[in-house]
Amino acid sequence: MSEQKASAVSGGTPSAAPGPASSLSASLRTGAWLPVAVVVALFVFFSLMTPSFLTMRNATGLLGQASTLLIACLGGSFVILMGSIDLSVGAMVLMSGAATVVALNFGDIGAFALLFAVLLGTALGTLNGAIFAFGRIPSFVVTLGTLSIFTGAAWQLLEGRALRFDSNVFEMLAIGQLVPRVPNIALFAIAGWGLMTWVGLKTRFGRYMYSIGGGEAVARIVGLPVRRYQVYAFALSGAMAGLAGALATARLGAAGPTLGQDLLLNSLAAIVVGGTSLAGGVGGVHRTLIGVLIIAFLDNGLNLMGVNQYTQMVIKGLVVVIAVLISQDRGRNFIIK
Amino acid sequence: MLHTARLEIQDISKSFEGAKVLDAVDLQIGPGQVLGLIGENGAGKSTLLNILTGIVQPDRGTLLLDANPFNPTSYAEAARQGVSRVFQEQALIPTLRVYENLFLSHEARFSRFRQIMRQREMIDLAQGIVDNAGLGIDVRKPTSVYSFSKRQLLEIVRACLVPVDLLGIAHPIILLDEPTASLDKADEQIFFRLLERLRAQASFVFVSHRLSEVLELSDAIVVLKDGRVVKRLEAGEADERLLHSLMVGREQRSDYYHEAEQQGSQRPVVLEARELCGDGFSDVGLAVHEGEVLGIGGLLNSGKSELGKGLMGITPTRSGHVRMHGGDWLQPEISASLAAGCGYIPAERLVEGIVADFPVTWNMSMAGDDRFCSSLGIWKTKEEKNVAERMIAELKIRSAAPLLACRKLSGGNQQKVVLARWLCRDVRLLVLDNPTRGVDAGAKEEIYATIRQLTASGVAVILITDELLELIGMSDRIGIMQQGRLTTIVDAAPQSKPTEVEMIGLMLPGEQDLSERRAA
Repeated sequence: MSEQKASAVSGGTPSAAPGPASSLSASLRTGAWLPVAVVVALFVFFSLMTPSFLTMRNATGLLGQASTLLIACLGGSFVILMGSIDLSVGAMVLMSGAATVVALNFGDIGAFALLFAVLLGTALGTLNGAIFAFGRIPSFVVTLGTLSIFTGAAWQLLEGRALRFDSNVFEMLAIGQLVPRVPNIALFAIAGWGLMTWVGLKTRFGRYMYSIGGGEAVARIVGLPVRRYQVYAFALSGAMAGLAGALATARLGAAGPTLGQDLLLNSLAAIVVGGTSLAGGVGGVHRTLIGVLIIAFLDNGLNLMGVNQYTQMVIKGLVVVIAVLISQDRGRNFIIK
Repeated sequence: MLHTARLEIQDISKSFEGAKVLDAVDLQIGPGQVLGLIGENGAGKSTLLNILTGIVQPDRGTLLLDANPFNPTSYAEAARQGVSRVFQEQALIPTLRVYENLFLSHEARFSRFRQIMRQREMIDLAQGIVDNAGLGIDVRKPTSVYSFSKRQLLEIVRACLVPVDLLGIAHPIILLDEPTASLDKADEQIFFRLLERLRAQASFVFVSHRLSEVLELSDAIVVLKDGRVVKRLEAGEADERLLHSLMVGREQRSDYYHEAEQQGSQRPVVLEARELCGDGFSDVGLAVHEGEVLGIGGLLNSGKSELGKGLMGITPTRSGHVRMHGGDWLQPEISASLAAGCGYIPAERLVEGIVADFPVTWNMSMAGDDRFCSSLGIWKTKEEKNVAERMIAELKIRSAAPLLACRKLSGGNQQKVVLARWLCRDVRLLVLDNPTRGVDAGAKEEIYATIRQLTASGVAVILITDELLELIGMSDRIGIMQQGRLTTIVDAAPQSKPTEVEMIGLMLPGEQDLSERRAA
């Protein structure tokens, strides 16, 4: 709760009023507390239902899964925060994962493969952003198109099968344990989340994202470089997808055609369930952590309970829809005349 | 003339945020009557129409329709009972065919099993209605193929004949809100004839800024001022001069606008424009001096607002240049304007001025400059909060705290937040577009005082406004726009202010002696 309050005061919840009492009531009204409650509820539920949930071994595995999702969501959160959408996150993860393996097999570049993937992702994201901002095509359409382009190109690169690589250095980036029992990929995810939270709440880039999402017309009137920052946001989304792609590949030891496939739904679900409004201007990366935990707990816990794959999909879909239904602030639709 | 009123308005009052917009208004509209309703902006005309059509509920008073209580709570309900309205903005869906638009929301009458439309019948009936009105329109064509003024006529026909033919209402009451503002000359004639013909079947309330039209069309004219009915005149006893003086005939207090503090136009030029053309305005040349208030007036759609945005480079201009502080002549560009110390306050506060969901701090700091961030792009959150606290105290922004969402502030206090956005920056020129629209009287006075303080410290102000008294009272010089051109610049020194009637004369198009008055 104290974390939630802190974020409200530092500007995470724009509608928060001053003073602890009114801040709390504002959070309650906007439903900011709900995702946190869901995380706690899921944690308690799965701990009671299945003994293997609350074990060290499962925690390590869960961290690995959740980390890929969190990293992939970090950039996408900004895109949604500014009122656009990036459907191509999963495809960029696949593309950069595939290209990284090909590059590693071409010559052992070791840890530099990570840099390579980030740069490639940035390029793909910049392409998305440029088409969106300067071609004035809705981001939904742009990234739906590039989703298909990137996926097709990656499959071409992989020739339809899983490609393995042979680089211990690269592998250890993800599965090494600098801190015992915590895979390195989780350190990347937490550090990345901390950095992006800071960027979102304490930098010009972050504030411009809120401003563009909350009132693009106002942003233009007061002279914000709206289009340039729209490109930046998509570039960041690509960069984070590139990082996620490389680390996921390192963790799995190979890049296959299904890499990143579940991210299309999971990334959007995590961001939106976390509390970033698809309408833009409300929420932020700091909230996405909660959304990622919800999705990861669901995936992991339902698996452990032995719930079959199809039922899992139904349950996950229901949780997403219901969470957003309850938490969205319908008051925002009220028009002052 | 029949003396049984079709619609009777008794003692209607309405306040918004404590400001009285309508104050004990009484009106009667007889069958077949055309009632002209005139008044300045803010006199309460739109609110009255909103009440009649159920969009706004009155605080007090009664409405009687054929002597029965009439309390519509929505536009649909008012329309069902025979009171409909032609809005200033068009409410036709351009992609639909004309007949579909005419019967929009009445489709159930033409359907089998609620879904399958009897199109033939719809088309025949629609064509009959349109022909009867003399419009020369093929109802099977998409609405978008017809010109704006043709569509405006269609709306009037829809408002008038659809209730008669479909709902069986004997004498509908049609509220026309500035119906001729966007009509061209030929269609204006069609509109007049249409109104003459429809008079037998309906009653009209006719709101217009064009007094000559009101005089020509109305049986009776009601003058509204500050929410009260000043006078009801029969058609024969009014002329334009009388109507003018009734509309604006409020005593003008020079201290209200702090006229004594006017700085004059002698100091160095801050911004100059040369042959500036853009959407809605063309060939505009002007100069504004340090400490001066340059007023820009003109009728609605005269291009005033567009000029303001064009000067600042917010919307792209086609040709022409501006220069700041005697520098280079450049095409206006928003980032250059910001760098040169320009600020702009838009008319549409809730759309373009503030983000209502954002806190006061965020709204104040929002601008495309580096006022609140370091060269590395790190946001100065603390500075932002301190400045907000200071501005809240300085501008007396009531009930505001730095982190309170702007949605919770009144219109006047919201506008002060927008002002504060530029006051906390080192601004040299401020362009204000209707800064006191929708602002209560108290905040209005404070905004005027703030403008005077700014000019006293050498800030140049361009004040674009629809409010005549404000235009005259605040300005050192007044530029008049007509159909996108800046036709006249008049001096408005404290001791020799032009009158409102003179101003209106200058704004109305087609007066020949204007060219003689054009200033160099």
